Amino acid sequence: MEHLQHHPGLLYVVATLLPLASFLILLLAGGLRAAVRPCRESNGTCGAIYGMLGGDTPRKTGAYIATVAIGLAFVCCLIGFIWHAKDTHHAHDAHAPAASAQGGHGVNKALHTEEHRWAGRMTWAAIGWTESDLQKPGSKLEIGYKIDNLSSIMFLMVTFIATLIHLFSIGYMADELQPITEDHHVHTEDGHLHRRGRFGRFFMYLSLFCFSMLNLILADNLFQVFVSWELVGICSYLLIGFYYERQSASNAANKAFITNRVGDAGFIIGLLIVWTYIGSLNFDDVFRQVRAPKDSHGRPVPLTGQVVRGEPKLTDEKMPGLEVTPGGYDVLLFRKAPPPGSHYHPPEIEEVLPVDASPEWYEKNPEEHQYSTMPYWLLVVAGLGIFLGCVGKSAQFPLQVWLPDAMEGPTPVSALIHAATMVAAGVYLVGRIYPLLTWDSRLVIAYTGAITLFVAATVAIVMTDIKKVLAYSTVSQLGYMMLALGVGGWAAGLFHLLTHAFFKALLFLGSGSVIYGCHHEQEMPKMGGLFKKMPITAITMLIGVLTIAGTPLFSGWYSKDAVIAHTFGFAYVHPRHGILFLLPLITAGITTFYMFRMWFLTFTGKPRDHHVHEHAHESPRLMTIPLILLAICSVGVAWGWPVWDAEASALEAHVHHAQHHAVVADFGAMLNDTALPAGKNEDTERYWSQKLHGSAGMLALLAAGLGFVFAFLTYKSNVLDPADAKAQFPAVHRFLHHKWYFDEAYSVLLVRPALAVAGWCSAFDARVIDGFVNRFASFSVWIANGYGKFDNGIVDGLVNVIGNTTYRTGTWLRHVQTGYLRSYVLFLVLALIGLYVLLSYFVSLASLG
Amino acid sequence: MNPPVEIGLTHYLSLGAVMFVCGAVCMATKRNAIGILMGVELVLNGANINFVAFAAFNPAFDIEGQVFALFVIVLAAAEAAVALAIVLNFYNNHMTVDVDTAEELKG
Repeated sequence: MEHLQHHPGLLYVVATLLPLASFLILLLAGGLRAAVRPCRESNGTCGAIYGMLGGDTPRKTGAYIATVAIGLAFVCCLIGFIWHAKDTHHAHDAHAPAASAQGGHGVNKALHTEEHRWAGRMTWAAIGWTESDLQKPGSKLEIGYKIDNLSSIMFLMVTFIATLIHLFSIGYMADELQPITEDHHVHTEDGHLHRRGRFGRFFMYLSLFCFSMLNLILADNLFQVFVSWELVGICSYLLIGFYYERQSASNAANKAFITNRVGDAGFIIGLLIVWTYIGSLNFDDVFRQVRAPKDSHGRPVPLTGQVVRGEPKLTDEKMPGLEVTPGGYDVLLFRKAPPPGSHYHPPEIEEVLPVDASPEWYEKNPEEHQYSTMPYWLLVVAGLGIFLGCVGKSAQFPLQVWLPDAMEGPTPVSALIHAATMVAAGVYLVGRIYPLLTWDSRLVIAYTGAITLFVAATVAIVMTDIKKVLAYSTVSQLGYMMLALGVGGWAAGLFHLLTHAFFKALLFLGSGSVIYGCHHEQEMPKMGGLFKKMPITAITMLIGVLTIAGTPLFSGWYSKDAVIAHTFGFAYVHPRHGILFLLPLITAGITTFYMFRMWFLTFTGKPRDHHVHEHAHESPRLMTIPLILLAICSVGVAWGWPVWDAEASALEAHVHHAQHHAVVADFGAMLNDTALPAGKNEDTERYWSQKLHGSAGMLALLAAGLGFVFAFLTYKSNVLDPADAKAQFPAVHRFLHHKWYFDEAYSVLLVRPALAVAGWCSAFDARVIDGFVNRFASFSVWIANGYGKFDNGIVDGLVNVIGNTTYRTGTWLRHVQTGYLRSYVLFLVLALIGLYVLLSYFVSLASLG
Repeated sequence: MNPPVEIGLTHYLSLGAVMFVCGAVCMATKRNAIGILMGVELVLNGANINFVAFAAFNPAFDIEGQVFALFVIVLAAAEAAVALAIVLNFYNNHMTVDVDTAEELKG
């Protein structure tokens, strides 16, 4: 416990590991149940275990374990959040007097202990044998955790929403509790498909997802993020394909997985570039090398927080160096942090700094700051590569196609994974790697977001499936977040991510409640007039709709205003990019229109399908309570004091504390305003976005109001007829109904060519490669036969002849060995006489000679 | 009456040769193991007479001939001991001393 007091960051580690524990328990129980299933009829231990694990009927225990685990994680995060807030408060209190008195050393110390309390890292895998090997860049992979204001609030949001969705799921997934469930969407020869309920499996996947998602937020390095990234990807795949017997569900799961692979390929490229050039994947290490440090007194100086570029040039000592120029080919990497008390001063423009010098040079000049370089375009590619991963995960243009299809999964999953948390992970990661992104990368991000938010919003107008509308709305809102990050509204984008998580989870759970109440009817044209049947759902959903529309005092108002204000400020400073302001403004109106269209179609008017209407009912309390809680959060989560001030949100202020100084360096005045000439402040996006906040908010409100009026006139008071509009612009409707023909285009451009190439490859394989292999094989057989004959006939024949001859000789000689002593004596005597005769013959010959 | 013949080397060698041939014939013809043993003794002793005779008549072999004869006697004694032991065992196994019955190892 005392250890926890010193390292309160471990609370978050515990919170992360709790869902993992629940996942493992459920996995073991499920595996054991499957293992003992063959002997379920027997009365022995086996049968008892089978019965204990639920037998043929799925048990609710798994759901309780998972819910308790995530609930405990929420409690841990809540305690951690309070402690962390207290800590940062102290640190900032210590900040002001100490900074003035000692020139920043006191701050460093306070911040240092704070970091020590809330961060930790360890080596996970190392390459090299000696200590000095491990000091080299790129020699070890680490895992670790780091809690800052952003991760602490993300933790709170994820665990809170996840807990509510676990509760909601216990009610929503009740169908899966039966020993035999009928799936009405799958037709077999004898009616619908019948299968065992998969209640426990659902919660097992949810637990794994919670662990992965929390680990993603916890991570202090890109490697750990990537692992979690893939884990949430697989959870998403498993849960979209939860009803995998349905062809559409398994197709959607594959589509989501494959689309994400495209993004992850970019992610890997980015990781490898960072690893190669910077030698570490730890966020802080990477940012420290890419962005210029503060001076040796801890004060920001002109280049602080910026990416320093330059051209290669020889130094005075004829060593390779870099001349610092704006827009140079190379980027300066700050290999060593300036040691405290050293005389580090920022590089001047046109100063030539030695880079890639030999280690001996640095041994002689230990005071020198060690620099190296990497090409600027590779830094851009690294940033965009990682961003491509975020594009896939956050369903941005052009990889947005998977998210609407992902609605095949159970609705709580859509709420948790495909609206509130996992898809927001892309936005979160862009926020995390922000200092790694250069100006050019951010412009790409901003345009990606702007295109996405507009495209998705227009498609949402014509969708009739209630979940599809919400899915496109999610894509659109994620576009808003990306856009905000791209134009320098770091806090605004992440703030919108947080408020969006609450109201979108609310809307999805609301839609889930409607679908549950209407017995799995998702088409809005078959609903209508459901307000009286399910009032709680209707009112909570209305709150969600008002929030997403940006009604003043609802949380969406604060965040959306912040986003639009930033785009306004950006467009004001860079009029060439004015479309980055116009698109979100127009889309704010469209958003209101399609959200109210959805609400009016579902809850008001006359019932269009009496069968559905008659059987509709309000959902049980287990499902409405999460709705109410989420509705309360949707309204009030962003409140600050004064409530009516759009810029006074406490949540935004909290997120703002975590902002890296690189954001300010690139988009606004320096941390310390005196570091820049006073007049220059007025050129910055930050300055204008603050100045224009009010007018941007008014414009957005106006757009939203127009959207509401149109929706009201069309779908409530029926002054305008949607069918008429459809008839007037059939081409537009068809275009939107086909979702801008993205699927068709990908099918023509990618899928069919890929299949064609695959067909060619398979034909090549079958004809050429297999043919060659077959020919080669028959040739080998032919050779082998010939050789076999040679072996049998000649080699074996020779060996046999030798063997036979030896055998025959032996057999013949055997007769000499009679075994009679007298014959041996006879031979002896005869041999003696023979020898004597021979000897005397030779002796006589010799004497004659 | 013929003058008495001086007994010379030739006589001894002839006696040795006769004893040797007798022994060899004995070994070749006898089926009785003891008889064969006796043949061996005759062969050995025929050779002994040669050694002793040469020792007596050739001063160069004065000592060597006698020593060799003694060696052969010792050898004959040892050989007789071993051979008799074999014969005894043979008898125990076959209840006979006929060497022609020893044919178990014939291939």
